[in-house]
Amino acid sequence: MAVKGKLDLVTLEVIRNSLPAISNEMSYVLQRASFNMMIYEVRDYCCGLLDVEGRLLSQNTGGVSHFVSDLGEVIKDGVQRFGVDGFKPGDVVITNHQRVAGQHLNNIMIYSPVFLDGELLAFPAIRAHWVDVGGQSTGFGARNATDPWLEGLQIDQIKLYDEGKLDEKVWSLIRDNIRYPDSSLGDLQSQIAACRLAEKRVQELFRRYGRDVVWAAVERIFEQTEARCREVVEKMTDGVYEASSLFTGSAYDNHEPVQVKVKVTIKGSDMTIDLSGCSGQRRAPINGRTRAAPVIAYKALTNPLEPVNEGSFRPLEVIIPEGNFMMAQYPAPMASWSTVLPTVIDTIFKALAPMMPDRVPAGHLGVLGGTVVFFGANPRTGERFVTQSIEGGGWGGRPWEDGESASVSVCQGDVRNAPIEKMELRWPILVQHRALRPDSGGPGKYRGGLGLSTRVKAQVEGSWTLPQTGRRPYPPEGLAGGKPGDPSDALLRLPGEEAFKSVNAVRQAVPEGSEGMVYTAGGGGWGDPLERDPALVAWDALEGYVSQQAARSEYGVVLEPGTLQVNIEESRRLRERMRAARTAADAG
Amino acid sequence: MTLNVAVDIGGTFTDCIGYDDEAARVVSSKSSTTPTDLTQGILRCFEKGGLDVHALDTFVHGSTIAINTVIERKGARTALVVTKGTRDVYKIGRGNRPEAYNIFFKRPQPLVPRHLTFEIEERMLPSGEVLTAFDVQQAREVARAIAAESVAAVAVCFLHSWANPSHEAEMGRILAEALPGCYISLSHEILREYGEYERTSTTVINSYIGPRISGYVDDLEGVLEKRGFEGNLLIMQSNGGVMSPLTAKRVTVAMLESGPVGGFIAAARTGEALGYDNVIAFDMGGTTAKTNLIRDKVPQLAHGYYIGGYATGQPMMLPVIDTIEVGSGGGSIGWVDEVGALKVGPRSAGAEPGPVCYGKGGGEPTITDANLVLGRLGAADFLGGEMPLDLEAARAAIERNVATPLGVGAVEAAQAMLKIAIMNMSLAVRGVSVERGYDPRDFVMVAFGGAGPLHAVEVARELHIPTVIVPNYPSQFSALGMLLADVQHDYVRTYYRKLGEADFQELKKIADELTATGLQTLRDDSVAEKAAGFQWFLDIRYAGQDFAIPVPIRLEFVLESDGGAIRRAFDALHERRYGYQSPEKEVEIVNVRLNAVGKRPQPNFPQIAVGEGAEALRGTRQVFVEGSPVPVTFHIHDRARLAAGQRIAGPAVIQEYASTTMLFAGDSATVAGTGELMIQVGSYPDGR
Repeated sequence: MAVKGKLDLVTLEVIRNSLPAISNEMSYVLQRASFNMMIYEVRDYCCGLLDVEGRLLSQNTGGVSHFVSDLGEVIKDGVQRFGVDGFKPGDVVITNHQRVAGQHLNNIMIYSPVFLDGELLAFPAIRAHWVDVGGQSTGFGARNATDPWLEGLQIDQIKLYDEGKLDEKVWSLIRDNIRYPDSSLGDLQSQIAACRLAEKRVQELFRRYGRDVVWAAVERIFEQTEARCREVVEKMTDGVYEASSLFTGSAYDNHEPVQVKVKVTIKGSDMTIDLSGCSGQRRAPINGRTRAAPVIAYKALTNPLEPVNEGSFRPLEVIIPEGNFMMAQYPAPMASWSTVLPTVIDTIFKALAPMMPDRVPAGHLGVLGGTVVFFGANPRTGERFVTQSIEGGGWGGRPWEDGESASVSVCQGDVRNAPIEKMELRWPILVQHRALRPDSGGPGKYRGGLGLSTRVKAQVEGSWTLPQTGRRPYPPEGLAGGKPGDPSDALLRLPGEEAFKSVNAVRQAVPEGSEGMVYTAGGGGWGDPLERDPALVAWDALEGYVSQQAARSEYGVVLEPGTLQVNIEESRRLRERMRAARTAADAG
Repeated sequence: MTLNVAVDIGGTFTDCIGYDDEAARVVSSKSSTTPTDLTQGILRCFEKGGLDVHALDTFVHGSTIAINTVIERKGARTALVVTKGTRDVYKIGRGNRPEAYNIFFKRPQPLVPRHLTFEIEERMLPSGEVLTAFDVQQAREVARAIAAESVAAVAVCFLHSWANPSHEAEMGRILAEALPGCYISLSHEILREYGEYERTSTTVINSYIGPRISGYVDDLEGVLEKRGFEGNLLIMQSNGGVMSPLTAKRVTVAMLESGPVGGFIAAARTGEALGYDNVIAFDMGGTTAKTNLIRDKVPQLAHGYYIGGYATGQPMMLPVIDTIEVGSGGGSIGWVDEVGALKVGPRSAGAEPGPVCYGKGGGEPTITDANLVLGRLGAADFLGGEMPLDLEAARAAIERNVATPLGVGAVEAAQAMLKIAIMNMSLAVRGVSVERGYDPRDFVMVAFGGAGPLHAVEVARELHIPTVIVPNYPSQFSALGMLLADVQHDYVRTYYRKLGEADFQELKKIADELTATGLQTLRDDSVAEKAAGFQWFLDIRYAGQDFAIPVPIRLEFVLESDGGAIRRAFDALHERRYGYQSPEKEVEIVNVRLNAVGKRPQPNFPQIAVGEGAEALRGTRQVFVEGSPVPVTFHIHDRARLAAGQRIAGPAVIQEYASTTMLFAGDSATVAGTGELMIQVGSYPDGR
């Protein structure tokens, strides 16, 4: 049946399965062989296959979501730079420049051309977070970098390998300008190995089925994926839906909050997401040049479980004017480019909630988690180290059930926290607790998930980065009468100090024995808490998710001390009183 | 006389295979599984096979009862005791959401509620030093509190107990005193490896299923004893080895994959007996197809998996036979999605109602139906003719659900269904071979499961595997594997150090301790010391990497402090797995692993008669092969009548009681002296 030159049903399915399999195999190799926690644990990378026009043939599943939209922009730019005829077998291009698809400079993209019988077919590409790219600070970007030069090494579409030959000068220039060359160059090697592997797989596929059949299949796959998305949007009610949120502004911007304003237009099977109302680009490094937020929201709403390809986003129009903080122009600072994305995505969902009330959850933690970042040197070996763990927070209550607790944001997918035992094995720190925070979930008929608290004692001197998230004054929102979740916080206690203090620290120097603590936010509640099944409130109290006091004050449920049984009669009366007080307040 | 018997209890059937060494006689029987009292199914199998319990020397047993207890959440009310500050570690897990775009994701649901999770004031460091002493007083109070909760099981997991288990052991003693008859698991006795969430989960599962599974093993022993059984009872475990009932009752979690792994052991042994040490085992049943790679006679192991899938499943980190599974079985349903793409599986008609052609109420067309419509299965020959199949109903279902929506004929639709299933299965085989750095052309495929032989040659052809072996008893192959499995135990101990700084004296001490534990357990399992064999592994990575590779090493490397040899073995393996090596980089050791094996005597299967086997020819059938709208004539052979040395050229169908083997033009089979079909797989006519 699989005759060369003719596309049949079976060949279509085989190619449909093979393309994501190639991206996933790249991801497997990269993750297993990588040298940095941002790749193997945080999975802050993506692997994709693109055609010469920069169309996305496939991308790996899992991993960080906000890479989903922009690989093609870099490929298009590269093809323009070198010309379609400017690539040769064995080339490897490296780039992280912010003028196209701008992200923080740590995200280094590697791609290589695939040829068969002299014809350029496609590019495997990997964009991955290196632990350091020089500049003023290592680790999670440079939070105080107000321009790209402070942030680090800028590489603009450079051939690291030319026809298979390594450019030693480029290699040593990179090596000499980053802090952990062993780690990052090891990652680079893994990125290249994964691209080489993909080259082989793509060649096998084209050799087996013939170029015409593969390209015909690709077109069909795009069309069918697009049709699936359109089918979902078609069922939505036409209209224009708007919502807005705020995000803390930095001192560089006179503490003026970042405006997140979205306008979603549904017309037939078309969706337009317009971010024109968002703030203009900032002096603080929260800018990006990315369609990621609308694209992630669209994917989650239309076709969340299937692999991604170009067809996944074709029916979506994204409007972000130049100079918007999400479409910032070089050299705007971008070191913390992704921090606002979860809030933008939540705001898109919030806009659509009135139109589809039974399919939108309340707000989630809205930031990229709590991060445990301590810089120090191992006293035994003298080696410098940076700790890292991403701690999840609460997700919003759903129209039919409670939100999940302590999970990573909508942008982070298969991002995992670092095990306590692993952190203590690697670094001279002591993790004193990693615990859910009772009463942090927003009250609702369906409660928001709980945030957590992670407390770490550093056994050596060093410095802490314990920043406040931009959502501390704007906690995860409730929906349909639900209440907000408890906000996040970052705390520090120095040796000899009595209590923890809320801080907003970037590389704050500390003596031996300091303790850092991170609170992640709870999710917003969904629906009126007074309508929550009292049996669920009693269970939450038994489990310790909700205190007896909050059971009474937030849910109007009276529990018998000791047994935690619901006192039905008293609860009924309390709820009545609370409803009456509410009506009175509304009237007053 | 030596009579060894194995019984495999699956979801639908209970399979029994026995071998009488003296009479060189194989006994096999099948009966329906009796879910309410599993031991009844075993006894019925014995009866059907004419086996006298009294005469059995060894009885090996595998069952899906352990995994079902977890999946159906029918385990015991269980409490968990942890280090102060870590009460929520089990609930929080790793905080990840593998389904990245699913905003309604579900995390794994803990098997122990938070109010039954208790913290103890105590703290170890990764060095094994005590930071905070164990609070005995508080431990006693917690034990009393647990006693008041009427739980049937307790799990204990303290931080860094892999480095120093003394606090856990003490907690265990206090609990045992306070809770007589309660099932208690200590994490360091189940899995002595760092990673608190995964270790907790594994230990909790052990406790959660402990009371039920140990009770089941007790019942089994009781029933057998009552019937006069005086032989040796062995239980199949997930790592492909067997263990004594004593060990099974202690480490119940080792029984999770007890059922399916038998086939992979049998595949390894079949390959070995026929002179092939490198085998790809291919098992296709009713709902899924599974594949495993066997290298140097050993099925490859995975160090853990997620029960119910990675996205929402419970981690269980003991070694299991490493399989890749796809939703393509005989019962997998073919359907056309909303945009007109043809899909096969993952939904399956299972055993009930089963394929349409079974006539038991199934309405959606399955792979079995497609095989029937194409003439690959004979309507009158299924299960030796005991179960006639309804060809017309199968054709109508394919017509209705697949052919009409796609605008093609029934035959073309059936061909497409089959081809898609074959492609999906070949992706799975690719997963265990090509994607892990192995070339399938260097392997033979051993095909089993009811539907394996029917599709194996086509899967093999996709991957250029030159030889397919269809073993004897392919549909009872799991039970056969249990008969052949060795006693096997896996141990792990975290030892985290740069290779250059490794203290070989300390490594040797760990090796000595593991050796002593291994030998003791093998002795408990009645293995003679001279039958014991040890394989050592060090989990190694480049400094800075996270994923370590288990590198097989000789113990001499450790005894002679030969870091160089260890290093070379790792570099070579890294190159094979990930495509490069970095001999200039520092490497570090993470874990020491021991695989302790007690060899069991292997039966010598009887030779079959040599001859031409002409009487095996049973006529012909018209079969639609790939890509052809007109049928081709296939000769039908009766496998039971084939003679050793006989050669059959495709196109041909070889039928046996519960399985069918297909050979196409260009393929040929030779019957081995012990009856296996050795198939030389022809290449594609277009040379691809």
